Amino acid sequence: MNELFLSLLLILIGGLLPLLLSRRFNAMKMFSILFICAGCILGLFPVAKGFFSGSKLTFEVDIYQYFSISLQMDGLSAFFLFPILLITILGAIYSFHYMNKPEKAFKTAVSYLFFSLLTISMVCVVLANNLFTFALAWEIMSLSSFFLVIYDYEKEIVRKAGYYYFVFTQVGALIIFASFGILFTFTGNLGFSSIHIIPENIKLLVFIMLFIGFGSKAGIFPVHFWLPHAHPAAPSHVSAIMSGIMIKMGIYGIIRFYILLGSSAIIIGQIVLAFGVITGIYGIVQALGQNNIKRLLAYSSVENIGIILIGLGTGMIGISLKQPLLAALGFSGALLHLLNHSIFKTLLFMGAGAVIQKTGIETIDQLGGLLKRMKVTGITFLIGSLAISGLPPFNGFVGEFLIYYAGFIGISFMEQSFIPSYFIILSLALIGGLALACFTRVIGIVFLGEPRTKNAEIAKEGGKSMLIPMAILSAACLFIGVLPGLFIRMAVTASKSIMVVPEDIMLSNVIKISSNITFAALLLFGVVALVFLLRTFAYKNKTITKSSTWGCGFTKPTPRMQYTGVSFAAMILDFFKPLAPAKIDHPVISGHFPKPTYYHSKITDIAETNVLKRVVKPILVVFDKLRWIQHGDIHLYIGYILFAIIILLLFI
Amino acid sequence: MSSFILLAITILLAPFYAAVIQKVKAFFGGKKGPPLLINYFTLIKLFKKGSVYSESTTFIFKLSPIITISVSLIVLLFLPIAGSQPIFSFQGDVIFLLYLFGLSRFFTILAGLDTASPFEGMGTAREAFFSILAELTLFTILILFYLISNKLSLFAYFGKGQSIALWQTIGTPLILVILALYIVTLTENCRVPVDDPATHLELTMIHEVMILDHSGPDLALLELGAQLKLIFYSSLIACLICPFHLGSLLANTAAYLLILLGIYGMIGITESVIARYKMTKTPKFILFSFALALFATVVILEFPS
Repeated sequence: MNELFLSLLLILIGGLLPLLLSRRFNAMKMFSILFICAGCILGLFPVAKGFFSGSKLTFEVDIYQYFSISLQMDGLSAFFLFPILLITILGAIYSFHYMNKPEKAFKTAVSYLFFSLLTISMVCVVLANNLFTFALAWEIMSLSSFFLVIYDYEKEIVRKAGYYYFVFTQVGALIIFASFGILFTFTGNLGFSSIHIIPENIKLLVFIMLFIGFGSKAGIFPVHFWLPHAHPAAPSHVSAIMSGIMIKMGIYGIIRFYILLGSSAIIIGQIVLAFGVITGIYGIVQALGQNNIKRLLAYSSVENIGIILIGLGTGMIGISLKQPLLAALGFSGALLHLLNHSIFKTLLFMGAGAVIQKTGIETIDQLGGLLKRMKVTGITFLIGSLAISGLPPFNGFVGEFLIYYAGFIGISFMEQSFIPSYFIILSLALIGGLALACFTRVIGIVFLGEPRTKNAEIAKEGGKSMLIPMAILSAACLFIGVLPGLFIRMAVTASKSIMVVPEDIMLSNVIKISSNITFAALLLFGVVALVFLLRTFAYKNKTITKSSTWGCGFTKPTPRMQYTGVSFAAMILDFFKPLAPAKIDHPVISGHFPKPTYYHSKITDIAETNVLKRVVKPILVVFDKLRWIQHGDIHLYIGYILFAIIILLLFI
Repeated sequence: MSSFILLAITILLAPFYAAVIQKVKAFFGGKKGPPLLINYFTLIKLFKKGSVYSESTTFIFKLSPIITISVSLIVLLFLPIAGSQPIFSFQGDVIFLLYLFGLSRFFTILAGLDTASPFEGMGTAREAFFSILAELTLFTILILFYLISNKLSLFAYFGKGQSIALWQTIGTPLILVILALYIVTLTENCRVPVDDPATHLELTMIHEVMILDHSGPDLALLELGAQLKLIFYSSLIACLICPFHLGSLLANTAAYLLILLGIYGMIGITESVIARYKMTKTPKFILFSFALALFATVVILEFPS
């Protein structure tokens, strides 16, 4: 544990140092990044050692009589620590060229402080071993990420996004802490170890409350809609960290408290699975309708949280049915997808950040042709898109394959799990197809074709420190996709914290699955290479001419005539209208001499509109009526206090 | 060894079978039609030519034909042709194969958007949409197959000693599956009534418009890839219709080729007697196949053999 503390200390120094060095912009960034990276790398050693040897690290200190800080690292926490530390390193490196405004030096310094605090608090969340430590780390995480989001607080839209995020994260925390209160009344202490003794029906209540609270962090439908506000507002490396790892802390919370509650009621698994299906499909349909590239990626995170929940739900159902193989495949599929998502989502946010930095445009339909101008960004973004669509031979396929496999195995236990299996498989298929449409749309409109605006035309490649992390991440996507053995084993090891994994059947299955995937990937490479050779041969001594795109006889095509992202998605969105209703503003063209017209379309988030209308508004109306209590007269306020004390004296 | 020969035969005959459709359509139209070897002539002609590339395109445009044909070839490697042992097979290969088709679609769509042509954009949008719906049917069929066989590989479904075929005990609901798979075949291979391979340069098409800018050997690879994909789907239907254990390899092969001829003839007849549906109607047509597959699943769930 001491090594881990040293690494956290280094990360903290990396956060504090810029405050002193803010006069020298580049040195400040350099030192900060160096310390943060050194801390993360140092932290990786004890994590890896603990994870692979299967030993538990613990640490405990009392600060007051009642509160104690207690940390413990088991397999599950170690599994989460890998992406936290690794992605933070890459995010920090990326920030070197991304944070390129020397005139905002002090703001940048503060941003680095909160960046390091966010990392430390996330490490503490997964290490926390009692309710107090967990709550403390959770709050620091929420607040530091809030300050990271409002980096550009001068802009009104950023402040609004920050407000959204703040409300969500605090209301979520409130529900989590309320459930901690319930736990405390039953167990009488703040420790994790006695949680499982509470009665079964209370367990269900606590789990549902925690699911809502953690869900608001993870981005589960219908409490997801801070993501599409906060991600576009935050700097790109912050969105990458938040989407790549911070929202996974919600998933961590769900898994951790599922273990601690130790309930095997099948309803829990069914709830998680049902919300997974809804969140997954809803997220990707919304993503397809977005026109802001970072909003799109935010909704795609919602979708991937859905896939992770589908895997978790499968695992939980497996535990309830006492089917270890089903459970182990479900959990390890979910965990592996979580790891994968932290890789490719970070990559995609970094790519989007590079595009936005170099063009100043966030709207997909104003970009185009960037692959020619930003080669590395384009190719890494392409790899990230292939991976996130779950296509072989990239890592997204591996996690989804495990969950599919679990779904099919579930069919065998027909009476209890045919319907869940059916939903698992079909929702994954639907999500896969929609993700493919969504990400071909992004690549096709942003990186291919002709530039639609001047800014897109003059775009240049981003700085080296931005490209290197993206290259590393895309290499990781390919590596896990081709050689998933180690990573599947890691996910299985982590699932051991959740359940007893029967070694024999699991091991043989893991070896079989991973070797099959490796074989399939190599086969794909082999055949593609062969065809490539044949094609080269076929093109030997041939005349290759360049010409403009065939416009069916039309000789003066302009970039404005290209298909746009809106039109690409129109048909699919029309089909999924109930999930993503479009607000279209388009005056009808009529008369012999029609006036100039325009076309505005916006996809509305049904969760957002309904929550605002049906929950927030009534609450505001009620509180408006109570405003008279807060009148500003100090005498009466003292009276309130006196009154409260008298009431308390009567009861206690 | 016999698997390799069968694979070679299948690949070599794919262009021939595609011509059968054209011949049937010509017959219904009262025309003589092109010779049965027309597709070979076309492929050879295309391979001899050079290429014209649009200035808008990038390397993705050239990568797309390679991926398309590679995927079609790999998929055939896993197919138990005429009930023989496929060259490769593993537990879960069906999921891999369906996702491979996804990979090839990904690149076809990107190549279409790469040209900056509005026509190709239109085609890609449709391709992306319809395949989502077709995939639902395919996975429902996989669930049904898993219910029957407890396996996840094509060889387990259609190989030696197979349990899934029309004239097994489980047979009757498979009529629905065959129909569903037939609709998916028409969708995924861009045939009438979803898409019309005969129309060129019109706003009504999907596949043909996406490959509008490809030329020369690239186009040949795409065409061949499409023909191989069609023969893959048709072979699946053939396997469902008839279990190929007639004793000798020769009899199996003959039965397989004959049934394929029948299926291609059927596609030709379908194309001759119905017109392409309106684009807004197509999703309903594809979802009809989903409903069929779902119904078959329910029947098998209630009356397991």
